[in-house]
Amino acid sequence: MSGRQREQPLRGRLTGLALIAPALVLLGAIYLWPMLGLGRMAFNETGSTGAMAPALSLATFRSLFEDPFTLETTWNSVWLSFVATLLALVLAYPLALFLHRTQSRFRSLLTVLAVAPMLVSGVVRVFGWLALLGDRGLINAALMGSGLTAQPTRLVYNYFGVTLGLAESLMPYMILALLAGFGRLDRACEEAAATLGAPPWRVFLRVTLPLTVPAIVLGFLLCFVLAMSAYITPKLLGGGRVFLLATEIFDHAITNANWPAAAALALYTLVLVLLLVAAYAALTRRAEA
Amino acid sequence: MREGAGPWLGAAAALVYVVLLAPVAVVVFIAFSADSFIVFPPSGYSLRWFQRLWAHEALMRGLSLSLMLAGIVTIGSLAIGVPAAYAIARAKVPAAGALKAFFLAPLLLPTLVLGLALLMALQPLRLTATLTGLALGHMVMTVPFVIRLMVTTFATLPDEVEAAAASLGATPWRVFRRVTLPLAIPGLAASAFLSFLLSFDETVISLFISGPRASTLPVEMVRYVEGRTDPLVAALSVVLIVATLFVILVVERIAGLARVVGR
Amino acid sequence: MEQPLAARNHQCALTRRMSHLTLNRLSKRYGETVAVADVSLSVARGESVALLGPSGCGKTTTLRMIAGLIQPSAGAIEVLGVDVTQVPAHRRNMGYVFQSYALFPHMSVAANVGFGLDERGVGRSERDRRVAAALSQVRLEGLSARKPRELSGGQQQRVALARALVIEPDVLLLDESLSNLDARLRDAMRLEIRDLQRSLGITTLFVTHDQTEALTLCDRIAVMHAGRVEQIADPVTIYERPASRFVAEFVGRSVVLPVERSEAGLVLGGRPVRTAHPVPESRALELFLRPQRIALAGPETEAGAHNRLGGVVRSHVFVGDRLEVLVDTQAGRVTVETSGAGAVAQPGDAVSLIWSPSDTLVFARAAP
Ligand SMILES: Nc1ncnc2c1ncn2[C@@H]1O[C@H](COP(=O)(O)OP(=O)(O)OP(=O)(O)O)[C@@H](O)[C@H]1O
Ligand SMILES: [Mg+2]
Repeated sequence: MSGRQREQPLRGRLTGLALIAPALVLLGAIYLWPMLGLGRMAFNETGSTGAMAPALSLATFRSLFEDPFTLETTWNSVWLSFVATLLALVLAYPLALFLHRTQSRFRSLLTVLAVAPMLVSGVVRVFGWLALLGDRGLINAALMGSGLTAQPTRLVYNYFGVTLGLAESLMPYMILALLAGFGRLDRACEEAAATLGAPPWRVFLRVTLPLTVPAIVLGFLLCFVLAMSAYITPKLLGGGRVFLLATEIFDHAITNANWPAAAALALYTLVLVLLLVAAYAALTRRAEA
Repeated sequence: MREGAGPWLGAAAALVYVVLLAPVAVVVFIAFSADSFIVFPPSGYSLRWFQRLWAHEALMRGLSLSLMLAGIVTIGSLAIGVPAAYAIARAKVPAAGALKAFFLAPLLLPTLVLGLALLMALQPLRLTATLTGLALGHMVMTVPFVIRLMVTTFATLPDEVEAAAASLGATPWRVFRRVTLPLAIPGLAASAFLSFLLSFDETVISLFISGPRASTLPVEMVRYVEGRTDPLVAALSVVLIVATLFVILVVERIAGLARVVGR
Repeated sequence: MEQPLAARNHQCALTRRMSHLTLNRLSKRYGETVAVADVSLSVARGESVALLGPSGCGKTTTLRMIAGLIQPSAGAIEVLGVDVTQVPAHRRNMGYVFQSYALFPHMSVAANVGFGLDERGVGRSERDRRVAAALSQVRLEGLSARKPRELSGGQQQRVALARALVIEPDVLLLDESLSNLDARLRDAMRLEIRDLQRSLGITTLFVTHDQTEALTLCDRIAVMHAGRVEQIADPVTIYERPASRFVAEFVGRSVVLPVERSEAGLVLGGRPVRTAHPVPESRALELFLRPQRIALAGPETEAGAHNRLGGVVRSHVFVGDRLEVLVDTQAGRVTVETSGAGAVAQPGDAVSLIWSPSDTLVFARAAP
């Protein structure tokens, strides 16, 4: 801190404290305290009747890890999040690169358009996917109308539909992350590569892609975390047939009213995400070096 | 290599736009269907689903609750977040960096976990499914959001302008009112707009702490979509999209949208 | 792309007299803006030509069209008589040194320099050998493992130069490559580049807005103005015989005096004045003189065949390597440059300004 601050008179300090106190109190009450409560809850027990008993035991965690279903949902969650994030990346990358490079007069409008879905409620977009992918949706209507298929193809209420919907909901975040990272991408470097004899695809592989690796890593991490904890999309597009950590946490908490189990699973998910992120970050750092 | 993006990249981008905007586009299209369920192509077009919308009690109650809630949350978040952001940005408190990290932490946590924690904390206090409880729950997201946006806004305001005003004899409060605040208007507008939208669209936290006594529009929409898929929700979506566009235009006039989404 | 050396030499002998790089009425417009208009230029093999002009006159645009980085709106580019206008940048074999250097930040110095060789499928050992040779050419041995950000500006500039030279380009294009360097480094690099260019005999086009750079570095100079080439000539001609008012003003310092046309000839400050050069048709005229071509003499000196203008010394300004004497004359205030050696007229002294008709240029007066 600057010397200016050290010399600050008592009155200035009091003003500062008064400015910040409401936020401190509020977030202490609605963020810190509930999170501590969540941590504590995971160590309570659930009796055979389903009633919660205050305790300090690992029983909830034990039954969580003994249940093979936990491993299955974990795998579902990680794999689905990975595929959805990858899909979002593959789709968002060309769009972000286009927005970065275009000299169109409508560039800022196009950028807004690319992230505008973020401003539309997630429920609305899920409904849109239902209308597109449902048995009587646009795609099935087109498939059957053209005589390609006779029966509706199952595109939704399964892992495919959830992955697609999730990828689309992640794309605006991915685009923003990529665009922020593309600032490092100097057009002159790509041009230099071309004048040195590299055809466009080689320029992409040897210059564009390596220079955007940091942006890709960042976007991927951000979206993967978002995907792991996404609830609305899997809930509505999964139609109860897609089992993920997020849906299980909600079911434990609301449907089964088994709070210790919900809390334990939530902590487990949190740790899992942190570990995966740390591992991925370490891996890419090694690869970059 | 040519100037601009080139035809291939342009074509790829166009394709991605289709994927990105297809769900919203199809919702708008469906809303004007005359059928009682989703069929392509619709047998006719009408405004009947918009009329049905006003008659649907649960959704309308959700809408009015969500509007009121978002208003309260916006005012509360600005009232609490802006002073805190100012104190942090101008280093008027010790350990401003650590405080900022604490305030921004909720933004890094999945809303699913936050919602669960809030449920467990608010239930014993009988605050779930109340306006107060919902407002508190949403502010876990919006207050940190406002703080983040406003710290950036205040930090990018030139320090010297305030010093200059002070040297001209303005008291600290008058410096803030006559110099800092007017300069921060775009940031404030963006904060207000995004807080409102964040609260209005917040679904996961609301699902945890809503109940029959009080449930927000997104929660009602989830319930409706879970039950059946007819164009009613599409009509509602169109109303929401148009309203959002309208607000965006207003904010664009005040703050410049590029700056808002650029955050 | 890559020709055997023997074939190259043969061709070289055949085409020594022929133009190596030809621009044929090259134009580029961006919507309403005309960035480059009708630029024609031909550069001989091994020749070095500067594109000189003020900011925004279209130098970079011209260079980028030659490199194939942008497509001309009209006109053609030929290399050794072959039209390359439609050839994409990566098949033109032109070395381009960017103003910002555009070094690849994720690659070492050696990888940067070896980039073009990789793209040409040059084998590993051959590549390493040529990279080392190129780096020693620009005196950067020992830095090959560094990343660009670990280099000084001058070193980065040399890497960029080595990277462009190692591919043995048909034409070397340099875009204001020295403008990011401090004055002393710039002078040193200027000489280095000139020596390299001469010893390699490489055809070079050099963009600059710095006239000293153009005058010292290049065989010929093309002065550009608002997208057009105003004059192409060797440095001495550009300086001594500027073809237009713009060139005269842009290159070097000038004394500009209003001059009238009469029945008998030109009149300056009430006295006849002679020029050895053509006078434009226009009615409103101005006379251009280089300040160091004006001699100061006593008030009654006979000028003979030279031009003479009487005046009174107003003041002196000492500018280090020369002395500037301000003289008030009938025609206006004139700055005369002298070495400052010997006796100098003092303020208040009456003097004569004397200069040769061959140093006297007359252009149409600029529109106010
Ligand atoms: N992509 C573009 N779109 C529109 N106008 C352009 C574009 N590129 C260049 N111009 C215009 O073309 C003209 C010539 O630009 P150019 O970059 O060639 O100038 P320059 O001679 O290199 O100037 P400087 O010395 O400042 O680098 C300028 O008026 C510029 O504004
Ligand atoms: Mg330029």
